[in-house]
Amino acid sequence: MRLSAWFPLAALSAIVAIAGAATRPRYGGALRVETQAAPAALDPAGPDALPLASLVFEPLVRLDAAGTPEPCLAISWQHDAAARRWQFALRPGVKFHDGFPLVASAVAMSLKSALPGVSVTAADNVVTIRADRGMPDLLLDLAHDGLVFAHDAAGGLTGTGPFRLTAWVPGRRAAFAAFDDYWGGRPFLDAVDVQLGRSRRDQLLDLEISRTDIAELDPAELRRASQRGRTVWSSAPVNLVALAFVGGRAGDPRVRQALALSIDRAAMHNVLLQRQGDITAALLPQWLSGYAFTFPTSPDLPRARSLVAALPAKARVLTLGFSPSLPAARALAERVAVNARDAGLTVQVAPSPSSQPDVRLVEVTLPSPDPARSLAAAAASLGLAAPPDAASPEALYNAERKLLEGSRLIPLFHLPGLYGVAGRVRVFAPPPVSRMGDWLFQNLWLGEETP
Amino acid sequence: MTFRTKLLLVIVVTVVATVAVAGAVISSATRRAFERLDEQRVSTLVAQFRQEFARRQREIAERVTEIAEADSTVAMVISLGRPDADPAVYVDEARSLAAARRLEILELVSATGSIVSSAQWPARFGYREDWVTRRSDWNSREPFLRHIELPAETTLGLIAVREARVADRKMYVIGGENLDREFLKSFVLPAGLRALLFREPQSIVGAAGPMPDPAPLAPLIGQIRARRRDVTRTVQWTTDPDSAETFHAIPLIGPGNELMGAFLVGSSRAEQVRMERFLRRMQAAVGAGGILLAALAGIWATRRITRPVEALAAGALKVAGGEWKTQVDVRSADEIGALADAFNQMTRQLLEQRERLVQAERVAAWRELARRLAHELKNPLFPLQITVENLQMARYAHPEQFDEVFRESTATLLAELANLRGIVGRFSDFAKMPPPRLETVDLNGVVLGSVKLFEAQMRAARVELVLQLAPGLRAVQADPCQIGRALQNLMLNAIDAMPGGGSLAIRTAPENGGVRLEVSDTGQGLTPEECSRLFTPYYTTKTHGTGLGLAIVQSVVSDHGGKIAVESVPGKGTTFRIDLA
Repeated sequence: MRLSAWFPLAALSAIVAIAGAATRPRYGGALRVETQAAPAALDPAGPDALPLASLVFEPLVRLDAAGTPEPCLAISWQHDAAARRWQFALRPGVKFHDGFPLVASAVAMSLKSALPGVSVTAADNVVTIRADRGMPDLLLDLAHDGLVFAHDAAGGLTGTGPFRLTAWVPGRRAAFAAFDDYWGGRPFLDAVDVQLGRSRRDQLLDLEISRTDIAELDPAELRRASQRGRTVWSSAPVNLVALAFVGGRAGDPRVRQALALSIDRAAMHNVLLQRQGDITAALLPQWLSGYAFTFPTSPDLPRARSLVAALPAKARVLTLGFSPSLPAARALAERVAVNARDAGLTVQVAPSPSSQPDVRLVEVTLPSPDPARSLAAAAASLGLAAPPDAASPEALYNAERKLLEGSRLIPLFHLPGLYGVAGRVRVFAPPPVSRMGDWLFQNLWLGEETP
Repeated sequence: MTFRTKLLLVIVVTVVATVAVAGAVISSATRRAFERLDEQRVSTLVAQFRQEFARRQREIAERVTEIAEADSTVAMVISLGRPDADPAVYVDEARSLAAARRLEILELVSATGSIVSSAQWPARFGYREDWVTRRSDWNSREPFLRHIELPAETTLGLIAVREARVADRKMYVIGGENLDREFLKSFVLPAGLRALLFREPQSIVGAAGPMPDPAPLAPLIGQIRARRRDVTRTVQWTTDPDSAETFHAIPLIGPGNELMGAFLVGSSRAEQVRMERFLRRMQAAVGAGGILLAALAGIWATRRITRPVEALAAGALKVAGGEWKTQVDVRSADEIGALADAFNQMTRQLLEQRERLVQAERVAAWRELARRLAHELKNPLFPLQITVENLQMARYAHPEQFDEVFRESTATLLAELANLRGIVGRFSDFAKMPPPRLETVDLNGVVLGSVKLFEAQMRAARVELVLQLAPGLRAVQADPCQIGRALQNLMLNAIDAMPGGGSLAIRTAPENGGVRLEVSDTGQGLTPEECSRLFTPYYTTKTHGTGLGLAIVQSVVSDHGGKIAVESVPGKGTTFRIDLA
């Protein structure tokens, strides 16, 4: 072989070596994250614990990217034919952040508070869960709500997750350090520093000037972030955006129905939400329930106008409130007002809680991959009547339809949680965010900032 | 009303009228001055508005043209012209372009008329502006007025439309500014002036915001709608005149000659009203002061003027009251002084004339008395002389008949001497009229008593008596004998006045709190000259009267504080009328 033939081969080898070095994960670095949520404490059972808690605490099972349960703290499980009795074998060698090993009794204690109405017992390395009724979706419930924790010597909570809590300034800052004894192997990141209570606008600015590595995004900002070369991560569409009537003129069902029929969701979805998430007229997203498409989403202006025409003039005026923290809230609310105007309704838009509106633009995060639990949770947070237990998809559909009767709630969209990510953040094993929005930062490492 | 009061009133009225006229003239001049000033200020502001409007038209046209010709717009036209165009990409474009070009209104509209992006109402993306696709000459058109829909209201915009064209692809750029309170704030307004903007159908805004109660402007708006040209009208906001405001309205016409609104320049009349009020107060104060001064000066002046006049009047009254010696003490060298001198001279002359008259009357009375005495005495003297001559003749010529003649002559002498004594007695009685002895007397009783004395005599003289006595006549304080004697004298005169018979009427009646007694006959009557001398002593129209009867009647009535008057028509009769208190 001549020298001239070796030269290109050597050059190719060098390029491959450099590229390999660039994509090979490396340890170290502190990941900077900003979030709008500002929980007072890191409580795995708290309503706004996630996604922060997912860094520290883990469930027995978790869902993979396809939504299929996979082992986490439990390495195997079995149940009887009626799914009333479940047994979970714990992963050996798992330690809490304070060095104590994971034992079945600690798991049982954690699950008792997370799973009310069931019996949880521990024996050796096995946790047994029993109930009087069948629990076919127990794995889904455990994946989201069954975080395992224990009390440390100082009385605080400790977990088995990839990061341990090192500092907590309520409402402002949370600092985490890599857990060296993590059963899945030490994370690549040395630390995760989370700024709490940051507005989305500030987060975006910080992302643009590289003051943060991960920031929450509004759908309307998606294009801007993309244009600036930011990676975007998203969860499944688990955030329900809806109009909720809260009283006042909402007492007349014709008003509610006219407003529901006047809304052109497609235009909002295409323009204001940059086609993120799903258009919906259902509480549960299509991916979760499978029947959301049966709820009609198209506007029917002639019918809306005929309903409004029958209303007294006083009833044609509504106030629409919104929380500025909601994604694209003002734009969505103003567009609803424009659509309503076409139907003959006058909708005055005002940020909540500066006024007591007749209808409010709300966002509800569906908490569980279990559709029945999510429906119940959504109904509870929206002030609707608790739906009956739904053992089948048909029962769930009927329960949801019943909740939406009378148009007291007008679902508009299911939006995903969106994150803009700095160029130096690399993902070793996707996904970095679970379908339900949990942070899987043990899969991240930090490289060089890309220009 | 006294002369002094009249004089005072004339002075005061003159002062008041002068002040009022002066005040009216000043008020009128002030009002005219204010109105001229207002007109100038309003004209200036109207001119400022027209300049500002034209300037904004130019600027808007330039800015919108700049946007239409900008590279980014050209890129947008190309992008939107593609089959897979995504207008959502540009949904926020108008806001940033509007901010950069300082436009309040900006819409990017696709070639089909669909709003791609709206700065003033971002939520209206996808809605249609079909009107913009109906013309193709936008690039040569001046900015124009158009109603612009906003989320909370419909405002009036001054907008320009430009086509951004690349080959066969195009889009429309609609940009402009609102004619709103910010527009109004750009005007430099002198104190007392304000600018308002009327926008059809009924919105009226000022620099401070929407007008809370524009109802009083409705007639002005109505005039603008009807006339479509400048209108001036005064608007009263409240019942307080201070609130009056004169508005000059300039109609704002749209491209289709429709009324879009109006620019209103309001000029407060508060200053003018305050000034007029001040002037009125000053006028009232000056008037009041003037009236007071005029009254004081008038009192002083009228006193000076009227004092001699009053002295003259008092003197005249005294003269009228019989004080003929009255003299007024007026020492002025003017007409009043001359009048006083003349008055004094007149009273002096009157006194002298009166004395002369009294003297003449006295002489005449003595002459009349002498004549009457001579006449009365001559009649008895002649029989006396004849009788004495008969005695003498009988003594010498017929001594045998002397005794008989002596007896007859002495009888005649005695009779005539008795007659002479009677004459002398009557004169003596008249001279010795006693004062009346007053007592409560029923006049009707006195009349009836006197009538009885003359019943036979009246029958003989064929005189019919007519009595008209008022029943219940109040009693009077009088001497019944003297009153009866006076009545009897009047009755006797009446009977004498009717030698051929007639009617004698006696009437009593209440009169002015007293009583009246009338005695009328139907005799020959008296001439005016006879009437004027009737009560003169010793004057008589009868051949055998002494002329003392009516003098005695007048004396009696006078002594009773009463009055006597006579009315007579020659040929028809005479009426004597006695009034007693």
